[in-house]
Amino acid sequence: MKTKIAKLRKAKKLSQEELALAVGVTRQTISSIEVGKYTASLPLAFKIAHYFGLSIEEVFDFSEYVN
Amino acid sequence: MDRYKKVIKLRILLLSILVIFSVILGIYDVFLTSPEVKESDLFSFQCGSTSALGLLGAIIIIRYRGMLRDEKKLKLQFNKEKDERLKAIRAKAGMPILLVTSVLMIIAGVIAGYFNATIFVTLIIAAVGQMIISGFVKMIYMRKM
Repeated sequence: MKTKIAKLRKAKKLSQEELALAVGVTRQTISSIEVGKYTASLPLAFKIAHYFGLSIEEVFDFSEYVN
Repeated sequence: MDRYKKVIKLRILLLSILVIFSVILGIYDVFLTSPEVKESDLFSFQCGSTSALGLLGAIIIIRYRGMLRDEKKLKLQFNKEKDERLKAIRAKAGMPILLVTSVLMIIAGVIAGYFNATIFVTLIIAAVGQMIISGFVKMIYMRKM
């Protein structure tokens, strides 16, 4: 799944480790989500979106799941 | 995080019991075991595995104590244990049930080994084999996910 996490993170000048620490996962998981290797669960997606002050749809691209 | 600190303290206590148990068993093996038993390969395996278990327990205790002093390390460890991706990978690799069955097979192998060497070798090879397969599967999924 495509996400805007890397872009948002860079805009906030955050490292993967800082974001991981804030949302309660490992740095490797953030990296995997950013490159699209791993799809975050709904609670984690919500945590990430909430951290950036955005909605889930604004951070994660669900277009491949719609129709 | 206070609740997790309590969990770590409980783990330290349990590991300390394990280390004390392995030291007592080691002393018994060295000073109180009969010379006939000492000559067997099984006895060497038992001594080696007990020492390794004690040493491993001591290393983990040191690591946990370090984490209790450092809040960031504690949080990182907490995240590592609760991480959903790692949980999924562990589940795919058959953990923790494969670890439990392997340990039980090794214990059963050591006990059975005093009666039949073939059963001992078979159980140990099977236990180590399934651990290697599990590790291999985990490695694959760490790259894939």
